[in-house]
Amino acid sequence: MYFAGCDLGSTTGKVVILDDAGGEVSIAGWSVVPASYLPEDTAGAAFDDVLHRCSLDSLDDLTATCCTGYGRASVSYISDNVSEITCHARGARWAHPGARTIIDIGGQDVKAVVLSGTGKVLDFAMNDKCAAGTGKFFEVMANTLCCSLPELGELARRAGACAHMTSQCSVFAESEVIAYMNQGTAREDIAAGIHESIARRLFSMAERVGYREDVVLTGGCAKNEALRVALEGLLGCLLVRLPIDPQIVGALGAALFAREHHASAARRSDAPTRSTGRA
Amino acid sequence: MGKEIIVGEELADSAAYRRLEASIQEPESEEMRAWKDAGGKVIGCLYNNIPEELIVAAGLTPYRIRAVGSTGAELADSRFSQINCSLVRHLYDSAKRGRFDFIDGLVAANDCDHMRKLYENWKATIDEPYFYFLGFPKKHGEPQAARLATMLGDFKKSLEGSFGVEVTDEKLRAAIDLLNEIRQLQRELRDMCTSDDPPISGAQMLTVAIAGDSMPKKVYRDLLRQLVIDVRCMGDATRPRARLVIYGGEIDSPELLVAIESQGALVVADSLGGFGSRNCACDVSTTGDLLFDLAHWLVVDRPHEPRTFNTAPERYAYVDGICKEYGADGVVQVHVSMCDLWSYDRLNFDRHAGMRNIPCLDLDIEYVLSGEGQLKTRVQAFVETITDKER
Repeated sequence: MYFAGCDLGSTTGKVVILDDAGGEVSIAGWSVVPASYLPEDTAGAAFDDVLHRCSLDSLDDLTATCCTGYGRASVSYISDNVSEITCHARGARWAHPGARTIIDIGGQDVKAVVLSGTGKVLDFAMNDKCAAGTGKFFEVMANTLCCSLPELGELARRAGACAHMTSQCSVFAESEVIAYMNQGTAREDIAAGIHESIARRLFSMAERVGYREDVVLTGGCAKNEALRVALEGLLGCLLVRLPIDPQIVGALGAALFAREHHASAARRSDAPTRSTGRA
Repeated sequence: MGKEIIVGEELADSAAYRRLEASIQEPESEEMRAWKDAGGKVIGCLYNNIPEELIVAAGLTPYRIRAVGSTGAELADSRFSQINCSLVRHLYDSAKRGRFDFIDGLVAANDCDHMRKLYENWKATIDEPYFYFLGFPKKHGEPQAARLATMLGDFKKSLEGSFGVEVTDEKLRAAIDLLNEIRQLQRELRDMCTSDDPPISGAQMLTVAIAGDSMPKKVYRDLLRQLVIDVRCMGDATRPRARLVIYGGEIDSPELLVAIESQGALVVADSLGGFGSRNCACDVSTTGDLLFDLAHWLVVDRPHEPRTFNTAPERYAYVDGICKEYGADGVVQVHVSMCDLWSYDRLNFDRHAGMRNIPCLDLDIEYVLSGEGQLKTRVQAFVETITDKER
């Protein structure tokens, strides 16, 4: 049986297909596509791609699907949805059973989630409308420094010093970057300061939920080595390197929920009576 | 198996509810226009410490100022600072745009510095026929009730002098009885939500409460009587995934609760101010001096807000009590950004909830709902967390 999870974020859409062969669950395939104007179009493109990769004919080959991310309630053919906070927790836990804290850096938000020893979400924190610490912050800064996102990370790794940013706000930090540029500060040092600024933002969020090891970084920005190093320095521990692409963790969690909800529904249909007690 | 009924879905069939709902869509309701057309006068009230009973006894209709439909606060920028909350900014902006031109006067109290600033700016720039500012005690107790009774006497004289009416004891008693009946009917409606399958959603309950300050009280009372009958006749609704209590200061629009309840939760009860359960938790006594009885209700009897000193234990006990009574799974704390009173309380309540093992979600909001996507993610994740029984 195949189960799919779809994570529709602000900048990309991700789909993961799980192959459940008699209880042995593995990732059959995954896809990451740029976000379209409509979440449904993004989902369509990601599904087309991943179905092709998995040599599946159509959505009919999937036993159940579940959606997460900002567009989670916007796909007409997926009725099941779970928040990205819960999905990232579930996906990270599946990929690394020792995970107790998940820090997810999305395109327009950032979240810190702390789990119990059994994987239950104990607490979470999420940024408000502010873009500080998010992928959008990276985009704005890379644009200001006239480089690509991968180049921004590379620049930071070559820095000899760190040009500290006093603000984590995208708008004010951009002004600081421009001031540094006009002072003749090396691009590498400014890039290091940008990463340090984001790491501080993530650290404060992790502190707020009471982070504990093992700490897992998820989302597209988790591939940024300079950010990982800066964050490890503040957290005082090493971040776990997942055996899967950190960008698909949310979609993976959604796929696991699709499988779990399918099993629950099957159990309910077998049950003779329904409990009437208050939850 | 019959058709599943979503919580509150059947309420759309109630003509009384439809009328109450329609009355809150614009600053001036149809009922208020009819009152004005018949020569009635309307007194705008800022926030929830205004003795409406005195206004009703003077033959006037109290109207709680709400910037319903406001989309911006540009006109407030020149008279408020960045640390003033969005509530007062939007109220002032709407006032400057003439959206409250139907009021015949404005009454305010020293609820907080933001509200004082609003009153001062309103008075300085908008020509209302009548202004009154009530100094409301910061402490609760018998001396404060006595002091407030004296101030209510002054307010009564001001109304009498400005509007050419006499507020007799008989009229005041009738007004108190009318508002007490409204409180009793609201409690009756709220009590129905203690059941496993509440017939009315939190957003609908708030709609009903807001309507109470958007039209003449007798018209509202009659609609409320009918609504209680209608709701009693409704069938069992779908059981909510999670039962929540909402706690905070002022929410004067149901939009936030609609967003919260769209995530599988039901707001079964609240500890909110003027439009919430705190305002109808108990009745005003009519056994002694009526001004003192009214003052006593305002500063002693009804559940308190953080602006009243040394009331945290009572406030939290009230929330604990409704959580237990309504079988709540968790509490959602809401506070408008820059509201210092509720922001400080938020941290203390978080600690209290932690000690009591009450799951609690904090939501920072603005007066006009925004960032709905992130808000819904938070609420959905919270609901998933408190209903996750498998781990």
